[in-house]
Amino acid sequence: MTKVEAVIQTSKLEAVKIALHDIGVEGMTVLEARGHGRQKGHTEFYRGREYTVDLLPKIKLEMVLADDMVERTVDAIMGAARTGQIGDGKIFLSRVDEAIRIRNQERGIAAL
Amino acid sequence: MNSTPLLDAVAVLQEFYSTESAAVRQAFEDSHNGQAAIRARSDLLDTIIRQIWGSTLGESPGLEGVCVAALGGYGRRALFPCSDVDLLFLCEGTPSKHAQRGIRRLSQTLWDLHLRVSPTTRSLADCSRLHHDNVEFNISLLDCRYVSGDAELFEQLHGKALPGMVAREARELLQRLTDLTRARHNKYGNTIFHLEPNLKDSPGGMRDYHLAGWLTTIARLEQNGTWPALDSLFPDTLHASSRAAVDFLSAVRCFLHYHQGRDLNALTYDLQSEAAGRGIGISAAPVSPAEWMRAYFRHVRSIHRLTGLLDEISAKRSGLYRIIQNRKSRLSNADFSVVQGRVFLRQSSSVADPEMLLSLFEFVARHGVKLSADAERYVEVVLPVIQRDLPARPDLWAHLRRILVLPHAGAALRAMHRLGLLVVLFKEFQAIDSLVIRDYYHRYTVDEHSFVTIERLHALSVPDSDLHRRFQDILLGIERPELLFLALLFHDVGKGMPGASHVEGSLEALQGVCGRLRLEPDDCELVRFLIASHLRMSATTQQRDIFDPETVHHFAESVGTVERLKMLTLLTYADVSAVNPQALTPWKAEMLWRLFAAAENYLNRSVDDERLPAGGADNALERILRDAPRGLDEEDFRLFLEGFPRRYLLTHSGSVVLTHYEMWRALSEDDVQVRVESGDPYYELTLMTRDRPRLFATLAGVLSAWRMDILKAEAFSNRAGVVLDTIRFSDRFHTLALNPSEMRRLQRNIEDVVAGELDVRKLVDEKTGGAPLRSQLAVKPDVRFHNDCSSHSTLLEIIAKDRPGLLYDISTAVAELGCNIEVALIDTQGQTALDVFYLSCEGEKLGPELQGELQDAILDRL
Repeated sequence: MTKVEAVIQTSKLEAVKIALHDIGVEGMTVLEARGHGRQKGHTEFYRGREYTVDLLPKIKLEMVLADDMVERTVDAIMGAARTGQIGDGKIFLSRVDEAIRIRNQERGIAAL
Repeated sequence: MNSTPLLDAVAVLQEFYSTESAAVRQAFEDSHNGQAAIRARSDLLDTIIRQIWGSTLGESPGLEGVCVAALGGYGRRALFPCSDVDLLFLCEGTPSKHAQRGIRRLSQTLWDLHLRVSPTTRSLADCSRLHHDNVEFNISLLDCRYVSGDAELFEQLHGKALPGMVAREARELLQRLTDLTRARHNKYGNTIFHLEPNLKDSPGGMRDYHLAGWLTTIARLEQNGTWPALDSLFPDTLHASSRAAVDFLSAVRCFLHYHQGRDLNALTYDLQSEAAGRGIGISAAPVSPAEWMRAYFRHVRSIHRLTGLLDEISAKRSGLYRIIQNRKSRLSNADFSVVQGRVFLRQSSSVADPEMLLSLFEFVARHGVKLSADAERYVEVVLPVIQRDLPARPDLWAHLRRILVLPHAGAALRAMHRLGLLVVLFKEFQAIDSLVIRDYYHRYTVDEHSFVTIERLHALSVPDSDLHRRFQDILLGIERPELLFLALLFHDVGKGMPGASHVEGSLEALQGVCGRLRLEPDDCELVRFLIASHLRMSATTQQRDIFDPETVHHFAESVGTVERLKMLTLLTYADVSAVNPQALTPWKAEMLWRLFAAAENYLNRSVDDERLPAGGADNALERILRDAPRGLDEEDFRLFLEGFPRRYLLTHSGSVVLTHYEMWRALSEDDVQVRVESGDPYYELTLMTRDRPRLFATLAGVLSAWRMDILKAEAFSNRAGVVLDTIRFSDRFHTLALNPSEMRRLQRNIEDVVAGELDVRKLVDEKTGGAPLRSQLAVKPDVRFHNDCSSHSTLLEIIAKDRPGLLYDISTAVAELGCNIEVALIDTQGQTALDVFYLSCEGEKLGPELQGELQDAILDRL
């Protein structure tokens, strides 16, 4: 099993959700996040005060999938989230040792 | 003792109990009559207990001095399918060994029937005193009912011991009930609105109904030692609605118990769907879960009102009732008395006067006090009599606007709605009465959501974070907050109307509301805009990149003016934060604020470049032409407008623009046109003349010399070189109000100074004086230039602490360095001056050296 974590632009959430739904990925966790990579943000002035926008709002998606779904999922996210500009985000993959469904204690792939 | 007959007897009883219980259940499944089911179950237990006790008595002498009484729900003849059976074994003194055996036998038999028995054995003396460490026992005795055994002993308890105990200990009992209720309500967030409420313990649930009964019983027993009849527990106006509510809740609780086989009272999402599908508690055919929950919330609201009896009875008991007569409560006035946070009417019939009726709710909105049960009853009694003429009252908006802007407007509107007044005034509101949006996101019914939005905005008066303080700053800068609150009140009424878009429904409803309130067309248009756009900002922050200048541009253009932007931002803030307590996360609030700040910067920084073209099409212009009087020379009118910033048309009504046009035409006779008009509570000065050096500084100087506070100002010029300056100012020393002839003298001063016949510097030197405004607020001055906001001028932004003469000092510094003011946008927020100028020098933007000189000159003067 693989955990897929994707940090994307906030405006791309709906498109990514639709793309994932289309390939059969239903379960995911969505988190409000802030961050930056190379883009670093900028400084804005408003009413005489300086506001540094260095941690930009982002959306983080997390899902745990069977290994054979990972490649398609990554492609779906990339296709829906990509604009070609700095700030598009990143995808991280990591191994998951076990998954357990609380309701009925199913384990492994059956719990996904 | 031969056990076989005993076992046989138990078996027979089990058979009897199973058969009868099944019959009760079947009757419920057929009729959904919860009250009938719980009474039938109580009667069934009575039969069984009498049967067992009778046979026990026959076989075990020594039980004569023992009485079996029902307590709790069983005592109320309201025994739910899986509830405990609360029994009191009452003895004269200490129970004998025979009595103890008999009691054990009864309890054991009931357990063998798989009933959950909660027995307690007490003496008469025990029941006669207050148990300080277990007052709940004393409260449970209020529901006692004879079942079997020594009837005379029960009569001693019911007729003498309990009334005596209550008469002595009423205060403690009431206090304990108050504490228990408050703790329970706190546990459930002090709200009836839960996605999965607990039918028994949530506010407005069955426990609150029992509470109301106990309160009334205690009051009656204390007063005259008699037990109240069941149908006289509550005031008439509440009786019918609470009766219907209890019927509903009883049916639902029976359904929950039968469905789950346990005493579980949480109305989960799935169970709501199940109950709705079977039409539990409602007389119609099965309905949608949302409609079913709507009925639930309507009933629960009725029950929740009964808890008002708690405060009322406490107030009366404690002797504070007398304070109604001697006005000691600091909030009380000639019409209303306030006792322990509840409003009482000095004269009950006074609310038959609509003026007094509306003033009552204004009082609630101002002070945040609740209506007493008495006051609510009087309102409900008079409403049917006066309701026909109420919506047509010409002063309705005057009352409503005052209510809306007061700190506790949400509470007042909620009370108006609960008593039916809001729907009388605005029939459109009926559509969203207890309307449920059934998902895991929307916590409140739609009507409650509308009240909560208003409360969320008022709560900004006490911000608890830096982010909230930013929204508070926006709110403080709103010119017409009452229109914003009006929009919040009606923004979702469309959800209760048929149609795909609730926004369309809300706009349709607004037509009727504006007509009844007799709103000015411009005010109605503003409210209309807010309702039409109330989803726009959320959608933009969620679906677009708010750091993309194109996104900001597009959004700002769609809003049009800074004032609309502020109101829309606050409406969005309130709307999202009133979906549920966690909906407006700091992340979302930050996004909302950033979009606001970027859009406001855009609107202020794009003024100079966005000018009205000659002969070009423009929506705002078309609107004015459409409503213009006949005979208007359109070509000449367009000539007047050509070159003004587009913002001019967006921030002035058609009638005001046409007035300015008349001034422009009058320039041919007198090349300085000045008007000073008194508003409430401000004055408006309009100057139109040919542009000339130092004009703006001159005007600011005159007002400074007269010690007027400039609050807002705009300075524009058109292509023909005519300047239009509009200044809003306040008269700190009431010079103009106290001396009406001074207004004409002020106007003449301005005309003379502008015409060069009077030296403004001399005027300033002669007249300036008076104590400076003292302020604790420290504002760090900021002077900033932007050369990329306009194609031909430099933007200058100044933040400074406001003081008399500030604008004169700034504009003089600008003039002395030879800069021309293309556009000026002057604003004040509290004690902070926010000034924006578009400057040019000899037709060009300001170079770095000139910017530096100007910055130093201004900072010197600040």
